[in-house]
Amino acid sequence: MPPGGAALEVDSVSVSYGKFVAVESVTFSVRAGECVAVIGPNGHGKSSLVTAVAGLVRRGGTVRVFGQALPVGNPRAAVLAGLVLVPERRHLYPELTTRDNIMLGSYSRTRRLRASQAWDDVSGVIDMFPELGRLLEQKAGTLSGGQQQMVALARAMAAAPRILLLDEPCLGLAEAVARRVYDWLGEMTATDMTILLVEENPAHAILVADRVVRMYKGLVGGPEVTSP
Amino acid sequence: MSEFLNLLAAGLTSGAIYGIFGACLAVWFRVCNVLNLAVGDFAMLGAIGTARLVQTDHLPFAAGVVVVLAAVGLIAWIFDRVVLHIAFDRGLGAHGIVGVFFYTFGLSLILEGAARAVFGTDVYSAPAIWPGPALAIGDVHVQRAGVLVIALAIASGLILWAYLRFTVSGRAASACGESVLGSRIVGIDSAMFRRRIFIMTAALAALFGVVESPLTGFTYLSGPTISLIGVVAAGFAAFRKPGRAVLAGLAIGVTEAMLGGYVSTTYNDVLLYAILFGIIILRPEVLGLGAEPA
Repeated sequence: MPPGGAALEVDSVSVSYGKFVAVESVTFSVRAGECVAVIGPNGHGKSSLVTAVAGLVRRGGTVRVFGQALPVGNPRAAVLAGLVLVPERRHLYPELTTRDNIMLGSYSRTRRLRASQAWDDVSGVIDMFPELGRLLEQKAGTLSGGQQQMVALARAMAAAPRILLLDEPCLGLAEAVARRVYDWLGEMTATDMTILLVEENPAHAILVADRVVRMYKGLVGGPEVTSP
Repeated sequence: MSEFLNLLAAGLTSGAIYGIFGACLAVWFRVCNVLNLAVGDFAMLGAIGTARLVQTDHLPFAAGVVVVLAAVGLIAWIFDRVVLHIAFDRGLGAHGIVGVFFYTFGLSLILEGAARAVFGTDVYSAPAIWPGPALAIGDVHVQRAGVLVIALAIASGLILWAYLRFTVSGRAASACGESVLGSRIVGIDSAMFRRRIFIMTAALAALFGVVESPLTGFTYLSGPTISLIGVVAAGFAAFRKPGRAVLAGLAIGVTEAMLGGYVSTTYNDVLLYAILFGIIILRPEVLGLGAEPA
């Protein structure tokens, strides 16, 4: 893949729940190393779009990751292709420890039998979130919202992603914690990581995104906004 | 002293029966939050099926056990594909409390009816794996099948505990019960874990039925009673910890035996449930049932 080529291609993707069409024939692409934000009002299909791209809901259309088409409804194939989702509301495993939550991010690619060995392979991600170091043995369900968001990000990084999908990463977080999340995102955009960010708040999105795609009533529409 | 030791041996034997079915229930509930109320019926099929194949059809004992375990595994696989897959993976069936109980309760009724049609109402016992008279250690007498029952329960509890605690696969299985979406995000196939552990616990219950049947005998009606005692043992382990379910089962069995021996068998059930209620109300953390996290 040449630098700047398409890392993620979303081609005529549609999502329906019964008769309700949540996403209608959406097409766009994200270049390698680019950060694109999908913005729009609540309930207009942004989360349905990213969960469909990640293979978590059935969709029409095609999703390609670095030129490779992903099968429909197969999140494991997406993870193996390097596409990893940090979902809205995090969806951690509350009765498992912080350590296990992060370690399981590597589930699809690890060949380890023992959990301790799998942890050794991914423990380096803690360097990105040093505040989690003292919480490794604590159950994830007992952490604060901000700490849980850090665990969700660390779990995604343990999957060694090439493309990160982030769905409302600051939803429900205090402003100081949201700043911490966006500081980290800013650091990520300085790497070769490709990022697709769903954000309801355009003011947040413009801080880190190279481009902004608007979604309204399940459609991508309006002019794209390029950050200065 | 010999009375105490004999009561202890009897209690450990019956407690191992509680414990193994509690462990089967707990490990599957941990993975998919569904109670397997057919676990006792799988044990019944194991015991009666083996007895019929060996005593009536004259199959060698080992071959009879293999055939029965394969048949039970096949039944479990079909049930998963036909019912659980449609209900949970395709989202077509009822969820919530109905999903927790109803599907496996229905399976229990179906297996019970099928067993009555095929095997009739007779009492069956599979041949003893370790034949011979009761073992005597001083004045203490233990049935050989009882020794096997206790050993199998402890071994199963230890293996399941180690699997869940130390392996990546065991952690992934636990994650499925915590959050199906969260597990799918990292590529864990929650349906596969549900299916494999359901088949494994069905086969384990069937094997346990074979081992246990020389002690208790089985009829087509034995399943629900066994499932119920399994639910009680699993309840003492918060429905999530199979190793603890075995320990809880052993403790219940010993308590029952001591109460029966030194007090009265009349109040066994009352006292056991009083203990369970007391723990739930006063020390829920013992069962892993503490307050909801913030």
